[in-house]
Amino acid sequence: MGFVIFFFISWLIATILAVIQKKLSLAENTFVFLIILIFNINFSWIVVEELKLITYSKDGFDYTAFLLNRSVMIPLLLVILVNLFQFRKSTMNRIILILVTEAILLCFSILSTYFKITEYTSWNYLYDAIYYLFLQLIAVFSYKLFVRNSQNVVSES
Amino acid sequence: MILWEQFDTNEIYILVMLVIVYSALFLSPKKLPRYLTIFFLVWGFTISSLFDFTIGGGLMDFYKVNDSNQYELFDFIMFFLFAPFSYFFVYFYKRLNIHPRRFAFILYIIGWSLLGLATERISTLMKVTDYQKGYHIYYSMVVFLIVQTTTALYYELIKKQERNQ
Repeated sequence: MGFVIFFFISWLIATILAVIQKKLSLAENTFVFLIILIFNINFSWIVVEELKLITYSKDGFDYTAFLLNRSVMIPLLLVILVNLFQFRKSTMNRIILILVTEAILLCFSILSTYFKITEYTSWNYLYDAIYYLFLQLIAVFSYKLFVRNSQNVVSES
Repeated sequence: MILWEQFDTNEIYILVMLVIVYSALFLSPKKLPRYLTIFFLVWGFTISSLFDFTIGGGLMDFYKVNDSNQYELFDFIMFFLFAPFSYFFVYFYKRLNIHPRRFAFILYIIGWSLLGLATERISTLMKVTDYQKGYHIYYSMVVFLIVQTTTALYYELIKKQERNQ
């Protein structure tokens, strides 16, 4: 069941990203995705495999759901965040956007433990919340950094 | 996370390769805009991380990188080795005027996949990669074909979007 839910969420996020009006070009969207993937994969590996603060299910389907969360759901959601961030210019709107994204990311964590995809041995949702906040900042700043090195900004819709 | 179990052949090989590929990167004439250079360096770094931490670890764990299954400093440094390969793939793709609708496109990807296999073979000889759980080097051909075809088509997509702006 966990795998099906996570696959559906992955599909839903990818579809939402495909249909929404985007401020970022293909290269910019992909760049943000790649940067988040680097951070998330390394963080996940260190916390799970090295420090054993979180354990994952040994069931193949559940493990695939874990990989979907790590490599698809979280990075793609943050790509959507960066796109929406460009439409919202006021500080209050941007704070609300970050808080909503934070809540969605925490929901992924809750679902992951609920379906026994992961088990928190020496970890909790507060640590997740801090990490997700850091990840959102990385997403926003990586985009700004990339734009600074771009000669032109392409808009796609 | 450890630095290394023993500083020997594999670590020295990685350092030597880093010097060679980054010297080539900085000395080669600049053919790509700066943002595309950064993009494809990050692309190579990420793709190698994704495969190493997906099929090379976790439940699958088909190969061991460097001295142990633990995350070593040189496992991380090795990702920097893959970054210029991705850049040079696109660099020569542009220099040789490879077109996705021509036969040269197929030859180019097969050529780079064979080069990938050759460098992986050297990596195994240098004890950088050790296969386990029945994994064989020829399975990597599948990975190379997927990654390099995706890289080429992605470059084409970015170019197309630039033209259409």
